Amino acid sequence: MMNKNMPEAALSKSGPQVAAEAVIDHLGDNCGPFVVAAETTRMAMVFTDAKRNGNPIIFANNSFLELTGYTRKEVLGQKFNFLLAHAADDVSLAQIKAELDGSAKSGVEILYCRKDGTEFWAAVFISPVKDEAGGIVQYFASFVDLTQHKEEMKQSQSLINELNHRVKNTLATVQSIVWQALRSSASPQLMRQTIESRLLALSRSHDLLTRGNWKSAGLHDIISDALEPFTITHAHSKRISIKGDNIRFSPKAALALGIGFHELATNAVKYGALSNASGSITVEWSRGKPNLDNDYTLEWREVGGPQIDPPKHHGFGSGMVKRGLALELGGEINLHYLRNGLVCVMKFPPPVDSIRG
Amino acid sequence: MDNYLQHRKILIVEDEIIILMMMEGMLEDMGCEAIATAHTNDSAIALIQTQFFDAAFLDMNLNGNSSSDVADMLVEYHVPFAYSTGNSIHDNRDGFCNRPVLRKPFGDEEFNRVLSALLHDGAMQPKRNAVL
Repeated sequence: MMNKNMPEAALSKSGPQVAAEAVIDHLGDNCGPFVVAAETTRMAMVFTDAKRNGNPIIFANNSFLELTGYTRKEVLGQKFNFLLAHAADDVSLAQIKAELDGSAKSGVEILYCRKDGTEFWAAVFISPVKDEAGGIVQYFASFVDLTQHKEEMKQSQSLINELNHRVKNTLATVQSIVWQALRSSASPQLMRQTIESRLLALSRSHDLLTRGNWKSAGLHDIISDALEPFTITHAHSKRISIKGDNIRFSPKAALALGIGFHELATNAVKYGALSNASGSITVEWSRGKPNLDNDYTLEWREVGGPQIDPPKHHGFGSGMVKRGLALELGGEINLHYLRNGLVCVMKFPPPVDSIRG
Repeated sequence: MDNYLQHRKILIVEDEIIILMMMEGMLEDMGCEAIATAHTNDSAIALIQTQFFDAAFLDMNLNGNSSSDVADMLVEYHVPFAYSTGNSIHDNRDGFCNRPVLRKPFGDEEFNRVLSALLHDGAMQPKRNAVL
């Protein structure tokens, strides 16, 4: 390869470059297979002339040319540091010097610049090549492209940040659940039950979102999961019916909806259709005329329970239903305390997540 | 307890009802009677343009959107405010690095401390009338 360039190169190249190439030819003559190996390995490599100022490059393999985008002609004779992204980067220069001196322990990471101006990180390993008298005549440097590694590090850092953000928000949610339960005048026993039941509702919503890789959750699944503890422990499964499309909601909306429906069910168990042996609940939603602003209508209808009056004070449950559901559905919530039982009507537009598909 | 919050109006901009309800409860316990809330950039900006607030708390992120437009509006209307966020790293944008930040979760003592500092700062600033 080097020989192919020779006739053309001989016309234009400076004295030192020609001499450098002669050294390579000499190397090739003496240790042919090693030079072929160095030329064809996937590891980017160069040799430099240690005796000249700036360590000019006297050999560069194909991988090095691929990595940097330069031609061999452009690289040979250049100073070793010509690829530095920031030529006056003292830290990099000092690191390279330490690597040249043999005082760096495990290679250095340097930001380099390709011919097209793009930058890349490379791990650089430098070993001296000594003559018989022990004097350093050349340096042998290899470069490991860290682009992919750095990209993975960035991704993992961003995952850690995202996880941290989610954990902090979850802790704040838990704090709010506990804080609001303790603010009520309920007995310690009731407070404990309330906190536990809300935390378990939150936990079920997390499970649902985890099954969907935290991308979205379907409304049918959200409601089924929120009502699951009431259908199991109270053997109410035949008294609750849920019908509607599994329209997708964002994780944030899914978490709030899960707690909202949990609160409606808790209320039904305490005071409503699930507080006696015969009441039942139907939850149904469907889409009306697509042109209307709030074209979905969801109805939570309790029948067969004792008549209930509107609550006198507005606590956590009514807040999560009236304000939480309205906010996350982006629509209106109306509660009707009928003789037959509570009817909660929710009108809302298609969720952003379902529009995106 | 002397009620320094009497006749003060506080704005909370927060997109999570469950967090918002606790913040409202904490403010009520501190003696604050006038609390306004907003969940989106648009509704917060509309409130700031039409009502007077003594102080505000602004979630840095509202439904995945930066709330920086609201921050600019609060600055324009001279409403002292603190950010609230679930992020642990320092992520204040340029020019806002001196803003107090409530990192979630936060307790009522810290909430109280930040709020009284905001109201104190507000007293030092020239008042700009709300919409006349």
